[in-house]
Amino acid sequence: MSFLRVSNVKKTYLGERKEKVIALSKMSFDCRDGEFLCIVGPTGCGKTTLLRLIAGLEQPTSGNIMLADTTIQGLNRETTLVFQQYSLFPWLNVIDNVCFSLEMKKIPKKSRYKKAKKFIELVGLTGFEKSFPYELSGGMQQRVAIARALAHNPKLLLLDEPFGALDERTRHRLQAELLAVWQKEKKTVVFVTHNIDEAIFMANRILIMRDRPGCIDDEIKVDLARPRDRRSQGFLKMHIKIREILEKILTANNQGGETYH
Amino acid sequence: MLGLVIPIIIIAVWEFFAIQANNPALLPRVGDVISRLVHPFTDLLDTGSFVRHIIVSASRVVLGFILAAVIGIPLGLLVGRYLLFHRLFSPVIELLRPLCPIAWIPFAMAIFKTYTIADIFGAHYTTNIFGHIQLGMLFVIFYGGFFPIFLNTVHGVKSVKHLYIESALLLGADQNRLFRKVIFPSSLPSILTGLRVGLGISWMVIIAAEMLPGSDAGIGYLIMFSYELAEMDILIASMILIGAVGALLSYGVKVIADRTSVWQAKER
Repeated sequence: MSFLRVSNVKKTYLGERKEKVIALSKMSFDCRDGEFLCIVGPTGCGKTTLLRLIAGLEQPTSGNIMLADTTIQGLNRETTLVFQQYSLFPWLNVIDNVCFSLEMKKIPKKSRYKKAKKFIELVGLTGFEKSFPYELSGGMQQRVAIARALAHNPKLLLLDEPFGALDERTRHRLQAELLAVWQKEKKTVVFVTHNIDEAIFMANRILIMRDRPGCIDDEIKVDLARPRDRRSQGFLKMHIKIREILEKILTANNQGGETYH
Repeated sequence: MLGLVIPIIIIAVWEFFAIQANNPALLPRVGDVISRLVHPFTDLLDTGSFVRHIIVSASRVVLGFILAAVIGIPLGLLVGRYLLFHRLFSPVIELLRPLCPIAWIPFAMAIFKTYTIADIFGAHYTTNIFGHIQLGMLFVIFYGGFFPIFLNTVHGVKSVKHLYIESALLLGADQNRLFRKVIFPSSLPSILTGLRVGLGISWMVIIAAEMLPGSDAGIGYLIMFSYELAEMDILIASMILIGAVGALLSYGVKVIADRTSVWQAKER
């Protein structure tokens, strides 16, 4: 019984010269309840489009997406999307950012602050409640964005390369933190990344996307024990395997120039 | 300290020519102007004191400006957000925008005559401040203040990042709260810029309006009247006051603006 089911989704849009661009075609996959699913693929393969479709920010041209047995039509508020760009509201401080969805649910200020504090603690930012986004580093901002998404209590958490703009050390720390949160909150997560290492470290299962048009090329189950050791044999083997698949996709496209790490 | 260099040079040049001219009806001495300025409550030419004239001018501006803000901001929010309103209003606005507010003054005088706010309440002969707020003046101030406020509001709404709107929608905002909690605060810095520019223009327009026939009080009126009587010391003192009050008004809005939109300055 799948929790999220994407079946035969096609998405086309008009390009700059009014030409028809096929972003996604014959896109199908399932995601179990509580699963941590990673999606990797070359730039421009439609990873972001896919997340936007699941979130209901855009509608598929054909095919359908079901979440917990309901077809997604219009905005899907059972999900929250954490963007790669810093999306915190700059005019609100940390706690009011985290509280935003609670305020929308008309929860009184006192109890929403109490709730928000829990999520701020969860992402390790206690003491920064009154800080404004511009006072925080990129890594801290993304933690707040995750806390804000969690406070909304979505059935499905979508993350679009949330750590893409961060340096490696911060990235590793946030990966571990997100895993801890996932284990504690038992959320279903769809995590899009460019980074193979990140995908293997986090995922239960990795979907590899092909581009032109974007669709699933391969699927890899990650059965390494957690917490995962980046230097273990199994980790490295998997890394090489995924890298080979991606390189094959790139050579088939005769695209080159792009490397995977 | 460096900011004082140029005013000192100007004053020195002025004083030099004033001594050379030796004609207070042409160019008064610096001291004469200063002695006018240090007695702001003294009656001038039987028209009232500097303070009274400034209060009259300022109340006209404040009222017209509030009118411009009350109409300009909501209209700007709607035009910036909804295509329907954009299509409805943008042709007429593009047409009216290049039409300078001062060009409206004769028209406003012809239409509104010398009717004041007090007249609306049926009290034509009154000495209170409302008896000095002519509807025609109110109209041109409104017109002068409206465009910067309106256009900056539209610009503010249009430059709200899509990312914020999508985040808010996914986090459960409905249209109403999206407007109040995201679009409005996000455009606030731009709106405040509009208010500041609009207030500056309103202040310029009122001086021009008061210089025309039919006006009987206000700092612009005082300038014209002292010109007719060749009281150049009062004229120059009035000009200095206009500059000072204008700067003060602008500073007031800036203080409020900086306090409410720290985030925007820091984001760059």
